[in-house]
Amino acid sequence: MELNLNEILRYAGFKGHAADEITLNNIAELEKEIKASVNPKCIYREFEFQKVGDSAILIDGIEFRSKKLVAHLKNSKSILLFAATLGVESDIILRKYSASDSAKYVLCQAIMAEAVEAYSNEILDALALKYEKDGLYFRPRFSAGYADLDLTAQKDFFNLLEITKRAGISLTDDCIMIPSKSVTAFIGITPDKECQKSACQFCDKTDCDFRRR
Amino acid sequence: MNFSERFGKELLFFDGAMGTILQKNGLGAGELPEIWNITHSDLILNIHKSYIDAGADIITTNTFGANELKLKDSGYTVEDVVSAAVKTAKLAAEASDKKVYIALDLGPTGKLLQPYGELPFERAYELYKQQIVCARDSGVDFVLLETMGDLYEIKAAVLAAKENCDLPVVVSMIFNEKGQLLTGADIKTAIFTLEGLGVDGIGLNCGLGPAQMLEFVKEAVKYSSLPLAVNPNAGLPECVNGVTSYNVGPKEFSEDIKKIIELGASAVGGCCGTTPGHIKATVELCKNLPALPVEKKHFTAVTSYSKTTLIGEKPIIIGERINPTGKKRLKEALVNKDFDYIVSEAVKQVDKKSDVLDVNVGLPEIDEKEMLTLAVKKLQSVVNTPLQIDTSDTEALEAALRIYNGKPLINSVNGKEENMKKVFPLAKKYGGVVVCLTLDENGIPDTAEGRIKIAEKIIKTAESYGISKDNLIVDALTLTVSTGSQNAEITLDTLDYVRHTLGVNTVLGVSNVSFGLPSREYINTAFFTMALQRGLSAGIINPLSDMMMNAYYSFCALKGYDDNCEAYINSITQTQQTVTQDSSITLKQAILKGMVSRAGDCAKELLKSENPLDIINGEIVPALDEVGLGFEKGTVFLPQLLMSADSAKAAFDEIKQKLNTNGENKASKGKIVIATVKGDIHDIGKNIVKVLLENYGFDVIDLGKDVEPEAIVKAVKENDIKLVGLSALMTTTVVSMEETIKLLNKECPGTKTTVGGAVLTQEYADRIGADSYTKDAMACVRFCEEFFANLNS
Repeated sequence: MELNLNEILRYAGFKGHAADEITLNNIAELEKEIKASVNPKCIYREFEFQKVGDSAILIDGIEFRSKKLVAHLKNSKSILLFAATLGVESDIILRKYSASDSAKYVLCQAIMAEAVEAYSNEILDALALKYEKDGLYFRPRFSAGYADLDLTAQKDFFNLLEITKRAGISLTDDCIMIPSKSVTAFIGITPDKECQKSACQFCDKTDCDFRRR
Repeated sequence: MNFSERFGKELLFFDGAMGTILQKNGLGAGELPEIWNITHSDLILNIHKSYIDAGADIITTNTFGANELKLKDSGYTVEDVVSAAVKTAKLAAEASDKKVYIALDLGPTGKLLQPYGELPFERAYELYKQQIVCARDSGVDFVLLETMGDLYEIKAAVLAAKENCDLPVVVSMIFNEKGQLLTGADIKTAIFTLEGLGVDGIGLNCGLGPAQMLEFVKEAVKYSSLPLAVNPNAGLPECVNGVTSYNVGPKEFSEDIKKIIELGASAVGGCCGTTPGHIKATVELCKNLPALPVEKKHFTAVTSYSKTTLIGEKPIIIGERINPTGKKRLKEALVNKDFDYIVSEAVKQVDKKSDVLDVNVGLPEIDEKEMLTLAVKKLQSVVNTPLQIDTSDTEALEAALRIYNGKPLINSVNGKEENMKKVFPLAKKYGGVVVCLTLDENGIPDTAEGRIKIAEKIIKTAESYGISKDNLIVDALTLTVSTGSQNAEITLDTLDYVRHTLGVNTVLGVSNVSFGLPSREYINTAFFTMALQRGLSAGIINPLSDMMMNAYYSFCALKGYDDNCEAYINSITQTQQTVTQDSSITLKQAILKGMVSRAGDCAKELLKSENPLDIINGEIVPALDEVGLGFEKGTVFLPQLLMSADSAKAAFDEIKQKLNTNGENKASKGKIVIATVKGDIHDIGKNIVKVLLENYGFDVIDLGKDVEPEAIVKAVKENDIKLVGLSALMTTTVVSMEETIKLLNKECPGTKTTVGGAVLTQEYADRIGADSYTKDAMACVRFCEEFFANLNS
């Protein structure tokens, strides 16, 4: 798993500025510790889906309401449901630094955020290559909680993919994932080869400190 | 014959998958298979029968997820579902002319337990208890916990079974391709922990195919003294056209199972993807194989949630720092429930390679039962080093043993009849290696013979409770050499005899030997080395003492326990690095640059010549102001702000100690309650706010995350609080923030609120009735300064 330092610094709140030497050393050390301890895991499955007008989709009889998701899936022939996690070890490391070193705690958060992204991309890029042979392409990831897709959609998403059983991610009653370094996504599979938008561009919060520029 | 009489003595066959067959018959994604016990009982009956026809001796009820949490919205109760499932299984078993055993099948709750997740340990216990109570009198033959991935959840389930029924308990776990459980335990750690809890059998199932399981079966047989059940999947899952399938056919499956039996499995069957065909092929191929006898193994092992420390050949280090005797700062932390300090003491000792951490929180002014339980919970949520639970209060001991996630060292039992009667039943029930103090009703004998006699008595008594000497470790008791010139010799003679003649491991609290003498480390180090040479298995020492650790590493290198002297070389290089540090950097610079240990050293140095308040006002406050301004201007960033904060804290800690000894006290700028609201478990923002507020001189009462509104109101009332800081990360939990504010307004009208968190904005904060919104931690500090300045003027 190759991690991108600029992304780590972005998550850590450096807003495009350079970091000092102690921070860089800390990142290098923590990255080693994290890579040696975490057990990333993922699960995905391709589903057929039907559109319900322009406001919802149906997967296996289960409805997900979101106009943006429907628009996002334009021309998609099927949909991939994907979940990935760094595993429970990541939260244990976070708790350790939360109690003992707050700067490292923030850096760990940033490194792990990048790690779960990098891991997901690694898996999905490899998978995308297989689909490309059949002339099919992946749309960018779209997750519950993005735009007008309510976070509570996670409950159905988790059931459809049996995520708790198969990837060890559990969902709290308030739809928060545990381990905290976990992601889920809908990915449209389309014959259109087109330039991809980043997830930030779905988001209306343009003054966000963490927005990709 | 009942199940226990046969399991482990002859080969038994389990059934195969249930869920896979239900899916083929139309069970939808997300649908609960357990409901089919009621809606499709004929199909379930037929599946059971087909496995019995295939040759299974054991069928498992269709109750894997039949718990209250999963059935919540189903319209059925746990009792409805469990009773229906058992009834169907019984019909199938009774229709057969051979003896068929019924396993009450219980899977994971589906929620992660605290500290990984949100489900409290005792709630998990209740969920399992509910299922077990429904089935215990209905004719099932044993409880099968299967596909379990978290040792802690297993412990809750095993206790629920043991305390609520007399059925045998078999625990089957799901390991990944690295041989680890979901929460990190390797196979031997799981086995030692479960043997400690007194289960009747261990198993591996799901996750892997039979071929991938071979090496793990080997590992299990190497460490386990219990019969082993193995139920692999029909290979690794493959996703074909959106459908998960398993591709190992009956013939290949049965051939691998044969190897598993030859390695020592006592019962075999299948998990996901296996069919009656797989079981039939397996029974036909293997039915005449003998079951290998289950051998008793002899390990002295303690475990955490993920890791084992073996006690025996190479001596181990037990870190002694979490014990308030003679430690002012720790006492203060205990009284104030400052668990961050306690955890950071643990982290330091783990960094120095402690194999076990002693946890003693006994102070006259605190409730030891409550504190020990809390401390153990906090520590095991952060470090994976096994703990030594150190208390003479048996109630506190039991409470801590119950919630400990693993098999701990138990410190201690002694030769007093009364004491053994209290401690051994607890050790037997929860598991643990027991430290045996060689003293009794007549005190500590002043001869080796006297102490050996007591050791022998303890060992014999332990055996009568079913605790073998593998699970004992004898403390020959270190007395100070300044009050008796033979004291060290008596201890060492006892130790030598216990280790080499009685064949029991030994432990010593080493540093007692030098009590009352100057420059104690010299004596401690020499005594430690002598004890190691005479057969000390475990030394309770201060792992932060370089002299002690160097003695230990030297001994291990000389004794042949350290290949290429690697550990010795690493430890010596590290020690040298910490000695050389740039000493020209001032305190202010150290804080600005975020050099934590340098800041502490600078403060210590300055305190020799300067007044504490001058140091605060002349160095620390200007440095913090500069960093704070930089953050606001966008030239300093969050990790840097926090490094400076941690450095300032290190300096403050030194100053605080000095002020405490001088009897002076720094006035607080104000007292604030902070919390992450109910339902929300993301506490990074709240934690950062806490660090900064403390730095700026505020007293912070941190209630943690997922905090009920009522708990916040209670803390406000008890501490006469004027300002509450609330944090929420998700849109779903801002609702609880609003509830909390409402309740605060009603119950504590004079108290104001300030809120923050990723999804919050000024507008949102106004809408939920917050008195103030702060966009980041620094803004929160500025707000608090203004708030308390106004309040005090």
